Amino acid sequence: MADVIHLNHHLLHVLNRFNIHLGFGDKTVETICNEHDIHLDFFLDIVNTFHDASYFPLQHLQKFKAGMLINYLQKTHAYYLNVKLPEIASYIERLNNDESILDAHKKLLADFFADYQHELIVHINKEEQRVYPYIKKLEKVLQNDSASREEMEELSNYSIHEYEAEHDDVEAKLFDLKNIIIKYLPPPKDSRLLNVILHELFELELDLNNHGHIEDLILVPIVDKMEAALRSQLTQFGQ
Amino acid sequence: MNNRVCILLLEPSFLVREGIKTLLSQIGQAFRIEEVDTVIDDLDKLLSRVKPEIAMINPALLAKKTIFNRDTDQQSNVIFIGLMHDEVSTNTIAKFDFCIHINDEKAEMNKVVEQAYRRLSDLDTDTESNNLSEREISILKLVALGNTNNEIAEKLFISVHTVMTHRKNITRKLGIKTVSGLTVYAILNKLIKVEELGGSANFVR
Ligand SMILES: [Fe+2]
Ligand SMILES: [Fe+2]
Repeated sequence: MADVIHLNHHLLHVLNRFNIHLGFGDKTVETICNEHDIHLDFFLDIVNTFHDASYFPLQHLQKFKAGMLINYLQKTHAYYLNVKLPEIASYIERLNNDESILDAHKKLLADFFADYQHELIVHINKEEQRVYPYIKKLEKVLQNDSASREEMEELSNYSIHEYEAEHDDVEAKLFDLKNIIIKYLPPPKDSRLLNVILHELFELELDLNNHGHIEDLILVPIVDKMEAALRSQLTQFGQ
Repeated sequence: MNNRVCILLLEPSFLVREGIKTLLSQIGQAFRIEEVDTVIDDLDKLLSRVKPEIAMINPALLAKKTIFNRDTDQQSNVIFIGLMHDEVSTNTIAKFDFCIHINDEKAEMNKVVEQAYRRLSDLDTDTESNNLSEREISILKLVALGNTNNEIAEKLFISVHTVMTHRKNITRKLGIKTVSGLTVYAILNKLIKVEELGGSANFVR
């Protein structure tokens, strides 16, 4: 496992979401996954999609439970909401100590970031309150042989394609903020704090890209299959 | 040159192709690559199928009879980079716009590829400058002040389609995609004042 981190240290955050923490010693990935009761293939696929955006875990797709994915995605949401966003906001607030930046400009950055934060929170809330519960319920009903017809019909009112169609890109404002700082903000006396902020924005962008990738390319196809299974069960009811 | 550059890579060695791809990806310009590892008889035909902007060619993969003629339609706009493995005649080198020898230092190779990219953006007259035109600036102001594309079209007596084209160009030139981002840009560059925004701004709350 230590080798994995030497290869790509960005993966540290990903490990934390699996409740894996530092001090691996020489344990292998497999050992650590066993210790934490983590599905090895699932772990490897998540790590691989993070490491290489073009990696697509076709072979294992069928084996994964939607619940597993949602668990991981929710941990990622929690990381954005409770750790990353407040962290970046506090760095931006610290810009106030730099007198070489105009107050109006500090306010612009702070407002812009607050606005972005709001947008991301709305996006996440929608997934947590609408989409994920639907998927979990769908999974439960499909596993339950004695699920009632009413339950199934209620589920079939929604389709993951609605989510897919309106699942918007939460990176656009982040991209703009980066360019505003890199290209358009007048240079401050000391760039260090802005460097840190930029670094954080790049990290967040990378993470969000991967998160959206998992939602669109792994979660949606799995749910799509589940919906097909639900429809076929419903037609059997009809007969 | 904001789109992906299409690159044709004509090279028999897998390792060299992988190396070239690594080199290209480290430069940071998005690209799409088409790899060919067999001898080519009809270069024009290949070029008209792939339509590359840059062709990196190991001359060993050009059959003797292949016509390497820069005057044909297919070849006139392509930038040719020679990928040399052995010593080659100056005659062969002269046919290429640039040359890389596979034993070259990395920095040297980078320089060549970057020069090729620069040549490419010179050909692309559309992006000669990133400065906004007068028209683009007036549209940017209206966007920042919270006007929709329809409103802008009405105010400037132009079609919505034209407004959209301008907005695309503004975004491409500035590297800013969202309305809030454009608003910040307009304020930073004193195109509009914060007070003008009133309650209409989407983020200054
Ligand atoms: Fe999400
Ligand atoms: Fe999402």
